[in-house]
Formats: sequence, C-alpha cells, structure tokens
Amino acid sequence: MTDMALIIQLLFIGVSLGGVYALMGSGLTIVFGVMRIVNIAHAALMMVASYVTYFAYIRIGMDPILSIFLTIPLMYFVGVITYKVFFSRLSKGIRYGELTVLLTFSIALIVEGLLGYFFTNTYRSTSPTYSTSAFLFGELFLPKGQFYATILSIVLIAALWAFLRYTRIGNAIRATMQNPTAAQVVGVNIEKASVVAFGIGLALGGAAGSLSTYMFPFYPGKHWEWIGILLSLIVLGGMGSLLGALVGAMLLAVTATFVSHYFGPTWSAVTFFLALFLILLFRPEGLFGKKMEVK
Amino acid sequence: MTLLKIDTVTAGYGVGPDILKGISLEMEKGKSYCIIGPNGAGKSTLLRVICGLLHPRTGKVMFKGENISKLRTDEILQRGICFVPQDFSLFPDMTVKENLRMGGYIMSDRKEVERRIGEVFEMFPILEQKSRDLAKTLSGGQQQMLAIGRSLILQPEVIMLDEPSLGLAPIVVQQIFKSIDRLKDAGMTIIMVEQNAKKGLEFAEWGCVLDLGVNRFEGPSETILYDPRIQELYLGKIQREHIDD
Amino acid sequence: MTAHNAVNVTLQHEQDAILGRVTPGKKWFLVSLLLVSFLTPVLIFFVNGMNYYLHMLLTTFMYIALASSWNMIGGFTGYTSLGHNVFLAIGGYFSGLIFAELGISPFITAPLAGLIAGALGLAFGLISLRTRGPAFIISTIAMVLLLKLTFDRWDLIGGTGGMSLPFLKVPSMYTKVPFYYGMLLLAIGAVYLSYRIRHSKFGLGLRAISQDEVKAEVAGIPTNRYKILAFAASALFVGSVGARYGYYLTYLRPNIFLTVIVGAQLVLMSVLGGKGTVSGPIVGAVLFIGINEFFVASLGSSELNIVATGVLLAIVLLFFPAGIVGSLKEADRLPSIFDWD
Repeated sequence: MTDMALIIQLLFIGVSLGGVYALMGSGLTIVFGVMRIVNIAHAALMMVASYVTYFAYIRIGMDPILSIFLTIPLMYFVGVITYKVFFSRLSKGIRYGELTVLLTFSIALIVEGLLGYFFTNTYRSTSPTYSTSAFLFGELFLPKGQFYATILSIVLIAALWAFLRYTRIGNAIRATMQNPTAAQVVGVNIEKASVVAFGIGLALGGAAGSLSTYMFPFYPGKHWEWIGILLSLIVLGGMGSLLGALVGAMLLAVTATFVSHYFGPTWSAVTFFLALFLILLFRPEGLFGKKMEVK
Repeated sequence: MTLLKIDTVTAGYGVGPDILKGISLEMEKGKSYCIIGPNGAGKSTLLRVICGLLHPRTGKVMFKGENISKLRTDEILQRGICFVPQDFSLFPDMTVKENLRMGGYIMSDRKEVERRIGEVFEMFPILEQKSRDLAKTLSGGQQQMLAIGRSLILQPEVIMLDEPSLGLAPIVVQQIFKSIDRLKDAGMTIIMVEQNAKKGLEFAEWGCVLDLGVNRFEGPSETILYDPRIQELYLGKIQREHIDD
Repeated sequence: MTAHNAVNVTLQHEQDAILGRVTPGKKWFLVSLLLVSFLTPVLIFFVNGMNYYLHMLLTTFMYIALASSWNMIGGFTGYTSLGHNVFLAIGGYFSGLIFAELGISPFITAPLAGLIAGALGLAFGLISLRTRGPAFIISTIAMVLLLKLTFDRWDLIGGTGGMSLPFLKVPSMYTKVPFYYGMLLLAIGAVYLSYRIRHSKFGLGLRAISQDEVKAEVAGIPTNRYKILAFAASALFVGSVGARYGYYLTYLRPNIFLTVIVGAQLVLMSVLGGKGTVSGPIVGAVLFIGINEFFVASLGSSELNIVATGVLLAIVLLFFPAGIVGSLKEADRLPSIFDWD
C-alpha cells in the first residue's frame, strides 16, 4: 500500500468512527448546554442501551441497527425519570456545578454496579453480518458496519439540529442554552425544557449504545473509558456546542486512528485523555464554546 | 382604577435574607412609574417578583383583582405583564427575527406573531434592516430596542423595564426614552427602574423611592424630584453613585 | 490593604476563639484515645482472632489518613478531586519498585513516597488548577484514566498483571503490628496537618477561596499559590499511605489502585462525614468502614458494593450536603469532642 493510500485508508476508518463518537457526544453536550450539568453517567446509561440491544440480538435476533427504535424511546424515558429523581429539586446555588457532577458520578456507580450484578463483567458484542464485511475500493476498504453507523449518526444529529431549530420546544431548548433568564422572561418553562433536553440527550446516547455493540465490545466498567473519550471530544469542540461535538469527534477519531496505526491500538485511548489535558490547559472554552467555569 | 397592587410583599433568593421587607404599592392603568433607590434597595427584585421569576415569601401581588403571586412567568405573561431585564437579555446566537419570534413564544397563532413583528419593525426600522443578523452583533442601543420590541410582541398592558439606559450613550438613551414615550402614549402602563433617577423621574408621572427593601416615599414625579429631603437623602446620593460607576 | 488587615484581624480573633475552646475535656478525650490506640496491639496476647480486629483498625486508620488528606483540597478549598487514588498508586509503586530493585523496605521509603506524591501533586496542580468547577473535576478523572492506561502498559512494573512484593519477615502472629503502627502514625500525621491548616492563615485563605475565589483574590490572598500548595499537601500523606498499603497487600496492580471507584470512596468518606471540617473525614471514614463491612457481609458482592457506594453518595448529596458533622453543627447538636473547627 502506498503512503497516500494508507493515509486515505486511515482517514476512512477515522471518519467512520467519528460519526458514532459525535452521536455519543452530542447527547452529553446538549445536556450541558441546557442545564450546565456535566453528566458523568452519560456513558454508563449508554451501556444500558447496549445491553438491551445485546439481549434483543441474542434472544430474538433483532438487528442492532433496528434496535435503535427500541432504545431511543426507552432511554428518553430513563432520562426523564433520572432527571425527576435527581435534579428536579436542586436549586442553582454556588456549588451547583460540583454538586451535579458528583450526583451524576454516583448515578454512574449505581448503573455500573447494577449492570455488573445482573450481567457479569464478561465482554459482550453483537455480530450482525455487516459487522465483518467491507466495501472494497481497489486496495482500500471501508468496513460496512462502521459506515452504516456513521451515516445513521450524522442523520440523527441532523435531525436533532432540525428539531432544535424548527419546533417550538426545540426553540425553547435553544433559548435556554443561550440565555436562561431571557428564556424565562418570554415564557419558556425552563424545567420542562430541561426535562426534554435530558431525555433527548440520553435518547441519543441510547442510539449510540445500540450502534456501538457490534463495533466496540463492552462490559459494565467500560463506561469510564467512554466518558473520558466523550468528555475530551466535547471539551475540544466546546461544551454545549452541537457543531463542536461533531468537529471534535472527527478530529480526535482521526488522530486516534493514526496513533493506533503507528504506535499500536492500546495507545489510541491515551490520545483522548492527553488531548483533554492539553485543551483544558490551553483553551478551556474549546473550539466553539464558552468557558465551562462556574462562578 | 388600581391595576396592580403589591401588598406587604417580602422576598429573597434561595435561603438568603429578605431583600424585600414588606413593600406595598398600588399602580393605576395607563400611568408611568419610576422606581428609584440606592444599590441593593430591592428595585430589580421587586420587578422579578411581579413577573413571577421570584415568588414572594409573604404578602401578595394582585393584578386586576386576581392574586398572581403564585403564578409562573408564562401565566403572568398571558395576563399581560412583560418584563425587560437588565443587560437586554437577548438570545445572542439567534437572529433579530428569531429573537422577536421568541417574544411570541406563548402565542399559538403564528400568523399573528409575524404581523406583530411587522409592527415592531415599523416602530424600530433599524431592526428590520438587521433582521437576519445575530443579536450579539448589534450595538447596545439596538439590543435594547430589540429587547423592548420583543416584549411588545405580546401587546402587554404593563411593561416593566429594568434600567433601560444602563451602559448606553446619552444620545442613544434619548432614543430609547423617546420610544418608551410612544408606548406611554399608546396607553400602556410602564414601570421602570432607573439608576439615572433624574432622567427617570423627568420621564415618569409617578415616582417611588425604595430603600432597604421598603418603599420610603412616593408621589408625583415633580414632587419627588424637588422634595428637598429626598433630594438630599437619595437623589444626590444616587447621582453621585451614578457618576462613580 | 485594608481587606488584608481585616483578614488578619479575623484570623487572630478566630484563633483566640478556637484555642480557647480546646477544653480540658477535649484534651483528655484525645489523650485517652491515642493511648488506647497505641496499646491495642498488646491484646494479641490475650484475644483470639485479634489479627482480624487489627486489620479492621489499620484499614480505618488508613482511610482516616486518606479522607483527611483529600479534605485539604476537596473540603477546605472546595476543589473536588475524583482522582486522588493516583497518589496512592504513585506512592505504592514507588516504594514497591525500590523494594523490589534495591531491597529497601517501604517502611523506610514511605516518607519519600509521600514527598514524591506531593511533588507530583504540585505539578498536576499547576496544570489542572487553572480550571475550576466541573472542568477541574473532569481533569482529575482524566488523570486516573491516563495513569491507569500507562501503568497497564508499563513492563517494568508488570503491566496489568502487576508486581509481587516479598512478605514481611516476622512471625505470622505479629504481621499486622508494624502496619498497624505505620497507619496509625500516618492517620495522626494527616489529621494533625489538617488541623494545623484549618487554624492557620493559609487555611483561612483556602476557605476564602472555597467561598468566593474572586473576592479572595481581591482581598489579597495569593489564590493560585494557595490552591496549588493545598493540592500538594493533600497528596503528601496519600503517597505515604500508598507505600505502606502496597506492602501490606504484598502485590501491586493498576486495578487495585487506579479504578475510579477508589477515588469515589475517598470523596464519599469526606462528604459523608462533612467536608471542610477537621473531624468530618474521621467520622466519615469510621462510618464507611462499618457500612462497607455490613454490605460485604450482607450483600457479598463487589458489584452491589459499588451500587451501595453510589446510592449512599447520592443520598448524602441530595439530603445532607453538609455531611454528618456539618449538619449537626448547623443544628447546634454537635458534641463538643467532635468540634475541632
């Protein structure tokens, strides 16, 4: 393979992973944008969708891609419940940012422990036919499963964008992200916008959880690695920015693919955590966002 | 006829102390009011209580004989009270037109919203020129016009303005006051909090001096403006503070 | 200048008030507690199965040292670190490696391990403390994940498999005793340091930072230097504990030190007892041991233990954010022997 072909090949793989990362990150960034909550439990709850997909695949042979129609509504519902139980009575005091991080942290522990208790710590994955085949272009190849997942991810992100732009509740969510006081003044019910945003954030995570089952083997504790990756890409893109999540995901996914090729796959995760440090150090507001500081 | 009645209201934030400590005021339909007082007197807090952003701890707010002190902001908007907070409170990453549309968020008739946006454009032609620009790219004066225009979409009976002149150049302040004058002429009840007390009192018909969470004096603007006690106690002080800023 | 003077005056006033409150009762309580702690190992000659109790006690001392250390940055300063187990790992591996290569006992190198951890805390603080709030918390999680990835792949220290250390060469009856005293001394050291910081100008500055960092800066407190020093101080004893803990276990694995749950437990103990107070982390650590024993005995699975940790943390955060000591103090019900603030 020529150098040029190799670079294109790695780009192919990087971009086709980036779409799914972006889908995972978009839910996280929406929740932060609306409520200023850094949801550490995002990836753990994503795992719930992965297990649902896995068992639907094993027991009734349901296609992992099709099962997003199951996991999207399910995780929306889980999101609404989670919000009501943990966040609806919190007042925005001086320690709000830290309190909510610790709360989502405890949710992550609860979910991880329950998943481990019921489903054990063995690695799982689904293996539909497209997960092992690829489109061939001369000496280049594009794994079919990753390709489908990325296309679907981008479609879902576009749908989210349209939802935020053209629906009434979408506008309410966008208004709350930009200026909560102004949103209240024009009559937006911030509580309702927050509940819906939290639900949507997890619904997107649910879809990503389904799609990831045939690309990334998983076990309950895996979510820590995921949340590290997701935080790094949305911090890079700018917390609360949808476009930022997409760009950050693509940049880091491509970088990690190159690192993985030249230094070995075990080092690709290091790319993300190192990037997270560097961004926090040099540009805490990310590419498109505002600073994440709380007063 | 009394339109809005504030009855011994106390209020504060979170678990903090009372900011308002038993305020009572009555406001009539079609008149303009200016609330003045030193920093921390509770002027902004009073407006927040009226529009439901903050609920009173005790006492009540009556609008047209109905107790509105426990209603949500959107319910109070429905009844015809609009609030323009300090620092304009716009949606920075939405266009001018989108900001105006958000002003009609609680209305279900989309066509009517578009028609009223047209009316706002007649009042502030500059906003029509910039209708596709993002709000954050406007100048201070234009942002204030947009904030006022956005509250007019609901055609409210009462409009409350929190320091409409804050941070604006004198010439721009003139323009803003002129447009508020037009609202007055149209029969709207106006409640304004002004740091620039002289300016505010010259504009409004009725003045009210707040200090430490209670109302100390009220009366026709000229009386307040030329009352020696008030001049010495508050106006002078307020003027000085204003200069210090 | 006036603001700084005001701070000094408050400080002086406060110190007088505090020192005046160390009543003879509290003094005797403390002295007798220390005496009992130092004499307890003698019981191995009289009580069957005493080694189990020694194990429980030394684990308690260890947690007291860890939680009190965490409290210096997480409680006093208000910067929540979810990654303090990094310093535990650093201390453990540092002393373990020296033991394996040069044969010098971790008991001797433990203070050095603490200093190394403190130095790394200083370095990490320089980077991470430029951020605050959620961004800071995230960076501490990233620190754990990064170190785990690195240790998992580092052949010198055995990678994921870890490394084994030789047993301590004493008759089996006495194996717990040196560790008991080792951990006891670390607990005393950490609590004493915590107490001294709490009642110093430095501690006052830290608390000002936790209340309102901008105002603290305006009042003339060198917030940056203070935060970084607090972070380094909080890493100090954690490193020493790591050195002794690794030796106590006789094996070192990234999985033991560097899972997120370990960092979470440090936070839980302080939050449970009452972060920002001197006695809170101690109360929290003791309670945590009790609760942990109960859960392991009754639930018998490490997964449910994780669930319990999460549920407990959530309950405390939602309903008693000030923790036990803090809540009791607010209600004026705190027994004076627990009040060292």
